Amino acid sequence: MDERIPVVEGLFEEDAGRARLLGSRCRACGTPYFPATERCRHPDCGDSQIEDAAFGPLGTLWSYSVQNYPPPAPARYDLPYVPYALAVVDLAEGPRVVGRLTGDTTSLRVGAPVELVLAPLCHSDDGGDLITWMFRLR
Amino acid sequence: MREVAVVGVGMHPWGKFADRSVTDLCRFAVGAALDDAGLAWRDIEAVSAASSRFSGGKGWGLNGNDVVEDMGSTGIPVYNLSAGCAAGGNAFNIGYALVAGGMYDVVLVVGGEKMPKGFIQTSGVEEETDPEYLRQLCVGMPGPSFWALLCRQRMAALGTTEQQLAKVAVKAHQVGMHNENARFRKEFTLEDVLGSNMVSDPLRLFEICPVSDGAAAAIICSADKARQLTTNPVWIAGSAVATARFDDGLPRGLAGMVPPGPTMHSEAKMAVGKALEQAGVGPEDLDLTELQDNTVYYELAFPEEWGLCKPGEAETLLEKGETLPTGKMPINPSGGFLCFGEATTAMGVFQVCELTWQLRGEAGARQVPDASVALAQTLGLGGNATALVLKR
Repeated sequence: MDERIPVVEGLFEEDAGRARLLGSRCRACGTPYFPATERCRHPDCGDSQIEDAAFGPLGTLWSYSVQNYPPPAPARYDLPYVPYALAVVDLAEGPRVVGRLTGDTTSLRVGAPVELVLAPLCHSDDGGDLITWMFRLR
Repeated sequence: MREVAVVGVGMHPWGKFADRSVTDLCRFAVGAALDDAGLAWRDIEAVSAASSRFSGGKGWGLNGNDVVEDMGSTGIPVYNLSAGCAAGGNAFNIGYALVAGGMYDVVLVVGGEKMPKGFIQTSGVEEETDPEYLRQLCVGMPGPSFWALLCRQRMAALGTTEQQLAKVAVKAHQVGMHNENARFRKEFTLEDVLGSNMVSDPLRLFEICPVSDGAAAAIICSADKARQLTTNPVWIAGSAVATARFDDGLPRGLAGMVPPGPTMHSEAKMAVGKALEQAGVGPEDLDLTELQDNTVYYELAFPEEWGLCKPGEAETLLEKGETLPTGKMPINPSGGFLCFGEATTAMGVFQVCELTWQLRGEAGARQVPDASVALAQTLGLGGNATALVLKR
């Protein structure tokens, strides 16, 4: 099986090789939302005008850490457990987003340029790959 | 608003108690608070209790009802307050408001907890509309790694070192070992802390609080009643609750806005600011602070965020010994969450006990000399925070 199954439907897509997070933006005040929202929640925006928006792939690493022990449910991982790096990323013209890091994580630094990718979280029950959004150094 | 005093406090020691129920722990704490106040259970006019999702409460967070049924069903009103780890502080604020507003003269504030083993799971909800569920499912970022991200950010911004992080834990145990109610009463060296397992890089096992069982109770009453009971009341000078602002930069849920400035833990900053304002005191007037140190990071970040010291100054004050009970800015003379472990919803009331003992001069080897004004703060899931200022 080489099936790629999104861990949750409707949160992300790959468009011509570019990973994008699917959310929304308020046209009135510019606030980005991920996941999508039906109504602008900015308390200073009295004029909610929500439209679909996609964010990424370019961003800046705000911070990073390592999940050194197996996380509790509902987190998913393959056995044997391998620690993974975590990130908070400020997406260009987008929100501040949490995600895992993939690729080379030995030279991480706050402020490093990163990009959004879709990558396997773990194997699904039927042998395919469960896909989620992640970040990697660019 | 009427003046309100704390006239009795009590605490069951923190630890892991396989053979005791949360009701057992609460009975011990409430009994000790009643004895301390010189009151009988019949004197309690209302209960403001922290709601738990981990223990007791008939699965509905009705923890105050458990206490009343166990102590004797006198028919008194019970308020069960839910605010994640801020629930104890929230219950105190409502108890305070009930007495200050004149509805009751004598109110019991109580929080008790028996925690499941392991690190706290942040969400029990399994719905794809729940941001905490999605965060754990799609990313896998439990509490310690969230704290680690904040800590790494501070290290990059201000140059905090791993040694300095470890020194916070060393200092916590240096004072907490003198607290008979603490779970971990052992002095740690810098090498012990730096040698403990990495839990979530850059945070190590001894730099993160584990979960504990425990219970704490406080009896608060009107000024007239307080003066009948004691010549040594501790006054509630400020009590505030706040929730997070929209422009907060903390990475909560899956995503938030990139804030215009360094706005973090806005709920805690607002609660502390409001409590200080109500009390009519500034940071320079505080003799001690009990803050929510789930990890060593908070003991460095919070005092700066609240204006207790300048940004980047916390490490210097720590290394000079100024955060010890004998220093200029004593932080967590109880030993804090690092020495007690977190019995989540009991922590806000645990802080009331420590502040009261400190202000009465009853804190023994961890006593802040001549303490007369003290601050306490909690922070809970959902963007909840509370703060209170007690005065002698």
